[in-house]
Amino acid sequence: MNDVRNPRSNPPAGRGPAPLGPFRQAATARRPGPVREVWQEFRRSPRGMLGLGIFLVFLFLGLAAPWLTPYHPLEDQFLADRMARPAWMRYVSRYREAPVTVDLFLFDNWAVSVEENVETERSEQDGQNVLLVRPAGPGPARLVLEHRFEYRAKPPGTFFVQVPYGFSGGPGATATAGLWLSAPDGQEYALWTSRRLGNEVRWTTQRIDSRDMQLKMRLGFRPFANLASELLRVPGEYRLTLEVTFEGGREADAVFRLGESRLRIPGQLHGLMGTDHLGGDLWSQFVYGTRTSLMIGFVVAVIAVVVGTVVGIVSGYVGRWVDEVLMRLVDVFISIPFLPILIVLVAVTGKSLWNLVLVIGLFSWMSVARLVRSQTLTLRERAFVEAARAAGARPAYIMVTHILPNVLGLVFASLVLLVPSAIVAEATLSFLGFGDPRVPTWGRMLQNARGFGAFGELAWWWILPPGLALTVLAMAFVFIGNTLDDILNRRGKER
Amino acid sequence: MTGTYFVRRVGYGLITLFVVMTFNFIIFRIMPGDPVSLILNPEFSPEVRQLLREMYGLDQPLLTQYFLYLKSLLAFDFGHSFYSRRPVLDELMARLPNTLMLLGTAFALNVVIGVALGIKMAARAGSRLDTGVTGVSLFLNAMPPFFIGLLLLLAFGYYWPIFPVRGTMSVPPPTGQWAILLDRIHHLVLPVTAVTLSGFGSWYLYTRNNVLGALGQDFVLTARAKGLTHREILYRHAFRSVLPPIVTLVFLSLPGVITGAVITETIFSLYGVGRYLIDATLQQDYPVVQGCFYIIALAVIICNFLADLVYGLVDPRIRLR
Repeated sequence: MNDVRNPRSNPPAGRGPAPLGPFRQAATARRPGPVREVWQEFRRSPRGMLGLGIFLVFLFLGLAAPWLTPYHPLEDQFLADRMARPAWMRYVSRYREAPVTVDLFLFDNWAVSVEENVETERSEQDGQNVLLVRPAGPGPARLVLEHRFEYRAKPPGTFFVQVPYGFSGGPGATATAGLWLSAPDGQEYALWTSRRLGNEVRWTTQRIDSRDMQLKMRLGFRPFANLASELLRVPGEYRLTLEVTFEGGREADAVFRLGESRLRIPGQLHGLMGTDHLGGDLWSQFVYGTRTSLMIGFVVAVIAVVVGTVVGIVSGYVGRWVDEVLMRLVDVFISIPFLPILIVLVAVTGKSLWNLVLVIGLFSWMSVARLVRSQTLTLRERAFVEAARAAGARPAYIMVTHILPNVLGLVFASLVLLVPSAIVAEATLSFLGFGDPRVPTWGRMLQNARGFGAFGELAWWWILPPGLALTVLAMAFVFIGNTLDDILNRRGKER
Repeated sequence: MTGTYFVRRVGYGLITLFVVMTFNFIIFRIMPGDPVSLILNPEFSPEVRQLLREMYGLDQPLLTQYFLYLKSLLAFDFGHSFYSRRPVLDELMARLPNTLMLLGTAFALNVVIGVALGIKMAARAGSRLDTGVTGVSLFLNAMPPFFIGLLLLLAFGYYWPIFPVRGTMSVPPPTGQWAILLDRIHHLVLPVTAVTLSGFGSWYLYTRNNVLGALGQDFVLTARAKGLTHREILYRHAFRSVLPPIVTLVFLSLPGVITGAVITETIFSLYGVGRYLIDATLQQDYPVVQGCFYIIALAVIICNFLADLVYGLVDPRIRLR
């Protein structure tokens, strides 16, 4: 079939007959023609199109990550309870009443219920809102703020309240602050009562944590009781009350400063994919992981293809001892067990993303080198190369202008086929704990899932998405690569 | 002819081994910090340090160190683990049987299931069953091996707790020989299944495609014309003709299975060489890391050598190289 031109179209890169203008031939044959033709054929392959479709979906997820999620994959934590289920599981009857996240900033939401002999003033301190509370005249003064909120879901696992405050009093002026929670059934719990504040109290944040054993005992519960589920047991309207009282002293000097208080009841339903062990958003980790995976896959594949192509062309074209040495090198690299060497190298070079990429790339180029070499061996004997040689072209020139364009098609198919193995290699290393701790990846999600008890709790919404995504994405690349390989190889044989 | 081939292959194997050893030497010299500072606590006086450096030969020129290193690797002397303080070789030997058991069983299952299914499906290529089986094996092939392990763990270790989720045997071990054996097998089921599921796909696809190719050839047509039964054609003619590449694949696929075992041992916390490599790397127990890596690399090199050798023997077309 040699030198029979494909009647349908231009000859693909440099495969035409060589008698006329061999230089120009190699240069002009690589017009968009062949690319469009490959696309025409590719379009007809359902397998290839399926792969392409899947790839495009993931590409979209990866590129649009910042718009798809409001959270930072690693820094935003405690968005909900640990291992919260995906929010759409609300439609499963069992979780219909699962606790939802309540996260209230209470500066503007306080309602004044009692104001006796005090004056309040809004102010700012270090860029944050504060409420200044002063006694308006001599004698006892009292301010009661309250906030009502509905809580109708099942009792939650935990809750937190934080109240930042400070106090400066004149001689003899004192104040006390306290926080109460009243349940719809009329029960009232004193979550916090401050000591008598005198003189100067530095700006501090009082934190109330439902897991605090002393708090539980003070409220009359057993030390191991779940305070959150006891206190928020009844569905209905709850009332959070903050009370500040002043006594004695020269009224004008005493100031109680109240900052932005916060009430947080972590829910057990969150987002598209739920949360991890720290209450971090899994969906954001997933989409940013897509980005990392695709990037690693392509960069590794490009590194491998560049190295492999250079080695292959040099080895095939120059021949002799260069070929022998390079091919032995390929043999050696192939015989070194892939995963163990990656582990050892990453351990030595350090856990950074770029080290990972370089190390994986360094051990992925061999198949490309072999492929390119064999292609180069046949190209070397072709008439247009011989003509170039006869015209006095130097080897480097021939390799770049005549051989390289003609192996690019083949190389492109293997580039696509290298991507999935690179992605899986990176995920495996990350899963084993050799990943870059600063980068969100699918492998890391799975490592965390395994390390922080997702299996014991059957947190499938944490385990399945990254693993299935890896599988599906790898398959997509295999589909695309095989289809391209079929098209390009068949064309190779047709010539 | 075969003699030259043999010698060449031995030569290549030795070159690779040499490169791996050199590589090992270089890597563990690049390692930040002086090896002595890794073993010893920094409070030792300079004199003691000097003494130790001499004891470990670290005061010698680099080249001498290199040859000493090669010598000790050839003697399987990897030094002592920083953690257990026992010789690395002893530690490896204690773990090797478990690894071999996992590898051996999983590998045999891989070959048997993959090849048998491959022949069967090639015979009924295009049927709905064939499409299904091929699709499933493509899917499993694309799935990262560690994720297959995790899925099995989730399903049969946690959701339906039928199999133990970690370890090589129960603690405390049961009494009685049979009980111990059963206990071991019970612990091996999930890991073996994991390695098998991740590995049989390539065998299946390879066998199926090759047998399918052979079925379309003239000698099969001849056999059919002779009136042989379908079964005879399939096994005695078609399968036989694709046997040589399959035999080679036995050895060529071993490195992959070893890689799979490294991951699977880690997932199921088996007491084996692969997990030891990973634990040691995470703990920076360098003598162990190089010992494990060397053993694994050696196994792979030997497998490659055997593959080349067997291929040369099995395939009559390979001569003179």
